[in-house]
This record gives sequence, C-alpha cells and structure tokens, in this order.
Amino acid sequence: MDEFQEILQDFLVEAFELIEQLDQDLVELENNPDDLDLLNRIFRVAHTIKGSSSFLNFDVLTRLTHHMEDVLNKARKEELKVTPEVMDVVLPSIDMMKGLLAQIRDTGTDEGGIDIEEIVQKLDAISKGEDPSAGGGGEAPTEASSNESSGSEEKASENKEGATVNPDDPLADEPELDYSNMSEEEIEKEIERLLKKRQEADRAKREAKKKAEQGGGEEKKPEQKAPAPQQSKPAAPKPAAPKPASPAGAKKPPAKPAVEQTIRVDVRRLDHLMNLIGELVLGKNRLMKINDDVEERYEGEEFLEELNQVVSMISLVTTDLQIAVMKTRMLPIGKVFNKFPRMIRDLSRELNKKIELRIEGEETELDKSIVEEIGDPLVHIIRNSCDHGIETPEERAAKGKPETGVVELKAYNEGNHIVIQITDDGKGMDPEVLKQKSIEKGILSEKEAAQMTDKEAFGLIFRPGFSTAAKVTNVSGRGVGMDVVKTNIEKLNGIIDIESEVNVGTTMKLKIPLTLAIIQALLVGVQEEYYAIPLASVLETVRITPEEIYTVENRQVLRLRDEVLSLVHLADIFDVERVFENQDHTYVVVLGLAESKIGVIVDSLVGQEEIVIKNLGEYLKGMDGIAGATIRGDGGVTLIVDVAAIMNMAKEIKSQAVQVETTQSKPKNGPEDYVVMIVDDSKTDRKIMKSALKPLGVQIIEATDGVDALTKLKSGEYDIDAVMVDIEMPRMDGYTLATEIRKYNKFKNLPLLAVTSRNSKSDRMRGVEAGMSEYITKPYSPEYIVNVVRRNLGLD
Amino acid sequence: MSAKLQEVFQKQQQQQNQSEIVADDEVLQLVGFMVGEEEYAIPILTIQEIIKPIEYTRVPRTPQFVLGVFNLRGSVIPLIDLRIKFGVPATKTNEDTRYIVLKDGDDTAGFVIDKLNQAMRIEKKNIDPAPEATTQDKSLIEGVGKKEDRIITILKVSKLLERDF
Repeated sequence: MDEFQEILQDFLVEAFELIEQLDQDLVELENNPDDLDLLNRIFRVAHTIKGSSSFLNFDVLTRLTHHMEDVLNKARKEELKVTPEVMDVVLPSIDMMKGLLAQIRDTGTDEGGIDIEEIVQKLDAISKGEDPSAGGGGEAPTEASSNESSGSEEKASENKEGATVNPDDPLADEPELDYSNMSEEEIEKEIERLLKKRQEADRAKREAKKKAEQGGGEEKKPEQKAPAPQQSKPAAPKPAAPKPASPAGAKKPPAKPAVEQTIRVDVRRLDHLMNLIGELVLGKNRLMKINDDVEERYEGEEFLEELNQVVSMISLVTTDLQIAVMKTRMLPIGKVFNKFPRMIRDLSRELNKKIELRIEGEETELDKSIVEEIGDPLVHIIRNSCDHGIETPEERAAKGKPETGVVELKAYNEGNHIVIQITDDGKGMDPEVLKQKSIEKGILSEKEAAQMTDKEAFGLIFRPGFSTAAKVTNVSGRGVGMDVVKTNIEKLNGIIDIESEVNVGTTMKLKIPLTLAIIQALLVGVQEEYYAIPLASVLETVRITPEEIYTVENRQVLRLRDEVLSLVHLADIFDVERVFENQDHTYVVVLGLAESKIGVIVDSLVGQEEIVIKNLGEYLKGMDGIAGATIRGDGGVTLIVDVAAIMNMAKEIKSQAVQVETTQSKPKNGPEDYVVMIVDDSKTDRKIMKSALKPLGVQIIEATDGVDALTKLKSGEYDIDAVMVDIEMPRMDGYTLATEIRKYNKFKNLPLLAVTSRNSKSDRMRGVEAGMSEYITKPYSPEYIVNVVRRNLGLD
Repeated sequence: MSAKLQEVFQKQQQQQNQSEIVADDEVLQLVGFMVGEEEYAIPILTIQEIIKPIEYTRVPRTPQFVLGVFNLRGSVIPLIDLRIKFGVPATKTNEDTRYIVLKDGDDTAGFVIDKLNQAMRIEKKNIDPAPEATTQDKSLIEGVGKKEDRIITILKVSKLLERDF
C-alpha cells in the first residue's frame, strides 16, 4: 500500500511538471503549428502520462491520453494538419487531463466526476480525418461509456484509499487466472463476465447506499465504505434505475492531502552543496596540518590549547556536516529492489521454473548516483541467477531439493561500504567447466587456465563474449550482461566477490562505497611523486624485498600466502622519472576491483586521508589511469589513481621494474674481478674444475649442493658472475637449482653452466627448460671449459 | 615600489587617453606577453587572471607541453607551457614568468609565459589575418596586429584551450 502511494506520488509530481511545460508549449504551437520539435514534446507528454496511468490502473485517464496520443502522433507525422479546429479539441482534452490528474491527487482515483466520452469521440474523429465539429457533438455517449460512467461514481468512493487493494472489490473473490494460456475469445468472454459481475455489484451497492442515506441522513462522509461484504456479492441484484452520471452527484469533500514531509530539491543544488562541503573538508585538512606544525614549533605555549580546541571542533563539525549532506543524497536501495518481485514472477513464468525472491535490507541507504547505477547490474545478476542458476522443478526434485528455488537479495552496511548480496540455491558454477568453455571460446589459453584459481575462474563469467548457457534464451545467454555488471561496478569503485559450490548455489557479493564525492584514500609515494588510491579498492598492503618478486613469463609476480599475485610498478604505469635508486625494500598495494586483483609496487606508503574528488577539467578529461585530482592539506594537487584503468594498463606494461642493478657494485677490469661459483657434491670434481679454470684467473668459490649454492647466491656476500652446476647432487639437484635461481629477477641473466656426464637429448632439453645457459658434457678438456666460461663472462 | 606603481598608472592613463579617440567597437583590448623572442597577445576578456608561478603536479601520459595541474583556489587547472607548445626551447622559471589563466566557456587552463608586457588597444583595421608562412600551427593564430613599430601575434583562445592530443 505504502509502496503504491509512493509510486502514485511520484507519478503525480512528474505529471504536473510535464503539464506545466505543456501549457507553454501549446500556446507556442498555436503560433507555429508546424514546429515539429514542439509537437514531439507534446506527444511525449501525452505518451508518458498514458504509460504511467495505465500502469497505475487509471483507466479513464489512460483512455483519454491514448486518444490524444493518436491525434498528436498523426500531427507529428504530418498526416494531420494542426488547424485551429483541431486545437479546439486538443486543448480541452488537455484541460480534461489536468482535471483528471487533480482528481487523482485529491481522491486517489480518476473515475467519476469527469466525463471524457465526448472529447474522446472528437479526438477519434480527428484522427480518422473527419471534421471534428460533425462527430461527437450531439451524439449520445455509447453504451459502454454510459455503463462506465454510471458505475464510476460508486467506484470513486470505493477506490478512495487506493486503487489496487480493496476489500470491497466485487472481483476480489475471483481466482487469479492464467490469462496467458487463454485464447483471445476466452479472454474476451472472461472480461465480459467480470464486467457484468462488477456492474451488478455496483448496482447492489448503490441500492444499499440509497437506503443508508435515507435512513442515516447525515452519513455522507466520503470515507464511508457503506456496503457490507454480503452486499457486494451480486446475490440480489435489483434492477435499479441507473443514476445519471452527473459530476455533481459525485461531489465529495476531497480527502485532505497529507502534509508534505519532504521537499524536492534539484540534484544540482545538492551537488553544489556537496562541492562546498568538499572545499570545507580541504580547508579542514589544511587547518589540521597547520595545527600540527604550530604544535611542534610552539610546544607548551598556552594558546596551543585553545587552538587545539577550535581545530578539533571545526573538524568534528565538518565531519558531521559532511555526513548530513551526504545523507540528503541518500536513497533507500528499496527503490531498486522494488522492481525485482515482478521481474522474478515474469522470469519464472518465462523459464517455467519456480522461483521465490526474498528481499532483506531494502531500507539500507545509498547515494543517489549509486542507486541509479546499481539497477542494471542487479537486473543482469538476478536474470543470470534465474536462468543459469536455478534449475527446473524436475531437476531440483531429482537432486532432492525443494521444487521452488530461492533467490535472495540482501543489502547491508559494512563500514564505509554497502554490500549487496545475491544468493541462489541453484546448480552453482564449476570452475573447470568455466575454464573449458572459455578455452573453447578463445578467451583463455590453456596455460592461463591451468594457473587459475577457482575464484579467478568464477571471474571468467564477466569476460565479454562469455556465456555458459547452452542456448541463447530471451533472458540471457547473449554474453553481454555480466560484462555490463563488471563495467558498472568498476565505475562505482566496487568489488565483486563470487562464491559458488556445485549443486549448492552461488553467492555474489557487490561491495560498493557509500558515496563517490568524498572518499578515503591511501596516499602512496613513487620516487618524488604522490598518488592517491581509493581505499575502497585497497585490499591490503605488504612490505617486501625485491628478492621476493619472481618473474614468470615476463610478468612480475609475488607469492602472497597461497596466492600468486601479478605485480606492476606504479612508476612504469605513470612513467615516473627515476631519481633515486631502489631501496632494499618496497611496498606492494594489493588492489581489488570487481573480480580481479593486482599488486602495485610503490616506493612508500604515506597514509590514509579523506580526499575530495575533483575532475581535471575539459582539457585533461579522460586521461588514462587518472580518475581525478584532489587538493592536499598543503595546497598541492595529488592525482587519484583510476584503479580499473591501471588494471588494464598493467597488462601492457613490460616487467622491467625492479631490475636490481648487479653491475653497480664495482667496475670489472680483468678476469680477476669475476667470480665463478662451482657447485658439485664431489670434492674431486670441484678440484678438477678449479684447476681447469685456473689459467683464466677468475675468483672461484665452491658450493657442495644446490641448497648451499642458492644460499650463497642469495646472501649477496659474493658478487657471482657465473655458476657451474653439476646435475646429480643430494638435497637439491642441478635442474631444481637452475629453476630456483631463474625465479629471481636479478639472476635472470646469470650464466648457468651445466657440467654433467648425462648427455642424452632429453637431459639437454631438461637443462634448457630449467634455465641452463650452457651444457658441458664430462669429460671435458680444460681448454674447452675455459673457452665456455670466458664466452659466458663476456671476456672475449 | 610606489614609484613604480605610479609609473604604471601613468602609462595606463596615457594609453587610455590615446585610445579614447577611437570608438570602442573598432578596438580590440589585448594583453601582450612574451614567449621566447616573440610578442603575443590575447583578448583581455578571455583572461581570468594572471598569477605568479606556483607549484604544479605532473600528469602522466600527457604531451610534453602539458606540465601538469595546479591548484587555483580549490579548482584543479591544467598548466600548459607555451614555449614547448610553440617549439621554443624551455627555460627555467624566473621572476618574470607568469601563469595566464584563460577561460572560454567551461574550459579553463593556465599557460606559462616568459614575461608580461602590457595591456593594449589595437584598432581592428590594424589587425591582419594570419600570414601564410608561420612556424606554428596556423589555426592557433587569430591575426597579426600592428602597433607602432611592433608586430604582435594575436592568439585564438578557443583553439589554445582545445585538447589536441
């Protein structure tokens, strides 16, 4: 009921606004009857009102606007010329429309009161191309209309409280029939039957009312729902003479409209207010910074106390003010949720499934701009759940689940975020199937698929061109929808989290920041520049040493707990000039957006700050990777990172980031400056090799097995230029050692020379795969080995 | 300082006196400035303000002449170096360097210039269309004005504020 009232209110506000504009347009149209724009505008108004009123079951209004639309449509298509005669009909019809709307506003119904038949006929005549003055004028209203208008008076009173739910509805006892399965004649008949029933009921009511009026005298209150339930039944229809359909008879004191508790404010005004608050927040930040500086300089002075108080008071009030203004822009998410029950009903019919929708937390509030953006993604997700998730009743029964599937829509607050959770108890998603499908469709290579975690595999459904439905239905399967979801959620800086279990169901969580204008950000430093990253997208930050960064296929990755995270250096994305050397540790900011994750390497973390998003203006609009700018406490400008964009950009950036310069240590002038490590478990072998290399004059260190070698290499104690590796060794063999060494970026080009008696082709292949640079077979001549080492050290 | 001010005032006075003879609609009011060796001018009404150089933040992935963005009382405004844009080798900021903030509709940007000359009035009949052989992109030039013995290039503000990358 309340919901209906709300829609009704919105409709009326909109309609009156439209009409206001219409008045001006019509006056203009008289002067320029050929102005197509004007005609189009007027047509749209009639069309809009028709659409809404039919939705709200205002039949009289719908009928009127429908005929108006016909005429205007013809005029618009130049099939009809707008003559003053035509305007003579159109104008009163618009007046009548206004009258009907006013009546709806005051009484909640459009029936009774205003007779539209005459004008409708005139409009009809015009659209048929007849002379409006000839038709309609004297003719009596048709049978149908007299029926309608005679019945309308009573309906006016019974519908007073609202049109949809009515305990006195004579048709209330009618079962909900499935009209979609009926033929046209059947429907025709059914309608006729229901109409009759209604008319009879009305007649009965009128009778009763008459009696009541004669007896009760003063009982004229419009709220009076005189007829008792039994009278509404057409048990004893008396052939009462139909009352004349005079408007006078229907005159009732209009229900007093409720005192307005709300005002409509232009969103631009709120935006302006938000901007001003933004300025204030910036000022506050600045004030706090100055306060800190002053505190340091004048420690212990008395005025500091006072300054402190003022500053904290201002900061407190600013925060409150900001929240208050933010709240004025908040709308309950119910606004969006409301359309889903209907959608689910239609979908279940269309798909022949039984689906129940449970909604929770519809009162949760969100910024208006976000509410507008969230609708589409939710539609797609819910459609997806119904189409791909929930099984048919037969399948469900076979699986031992209740026949009716449940889709749950839940919204709740979590810190500075709102979480919208869509759960279905359908068939769930199988990561393997998803991968297989993606490979078939060519949006994934087998190699990528093998490296994918289950979570990442679920993310595949967001790739453009992906659809798991075997056949394309009306509902989904065209492979566009989920792509839209991702784009929209990314636009809102939101995060998508998917959990799914085969045959149990799927849960999709959308985590969206509450507001877009003022956000919490993480400030990071890259060389001498600073950037702000929206905190909503930051999952965590990690401090690492450059050695922890591995290179896999030219991509830098980091092993973070049990996940492999691809990395990108912010300096590479933003072409930051390298002023100072890499330190011994860096920071990785783990970013999450929609369903993907990435690690961004930065040089320092500055801290968290509340920032106001400002755009870069026309000139720099839409720069890659930059979402906007903000003004910091010191008055400087800091750019805000566009997380979605840098995720895309990261794919194209080559990994040259944390290339640790091994050559920086000291210049190498002769062979004596080079260090070669010999890794062999046999002391004799090491000795032979050592003596063989002696003529070369390089420094030699020894390691007894793979583990020993790796430790020595990693310690950085020796600046090793080449490694001679035996293959057969305890603890860690040569292949494994090579693989381990190659994982480090800084050892990517380190010559690894396998020295072994295994010389089959497959052994050599394995060596190459493991990352060996050369393969020397035992036994070898001292000259040969010297040459190989010399070549690999670049001593030629 | 006050003597200098006096001088400026006097100069302005003189200028006004000179130009009062000519009817207003035939005269273009301009602000002249130097970029490299050449003198340029911009219609005075398109200038929002002229400020001394302040700190700016580099914006990545932009052409070289876009120095970055700066904060003008709470608005973030792009900064463009006219020297680089006009192909003159860049110099260090000195005490004559100024930012001219230009506005055309919703578009606003700051431009780095080497030196501010003065406000001037040039009669429209003394302004010729842009010559054929100029080194810069011709579309940037509104016309060439003659003032006494000098030749001044008048720039087209709408074009300057248009993103061309």
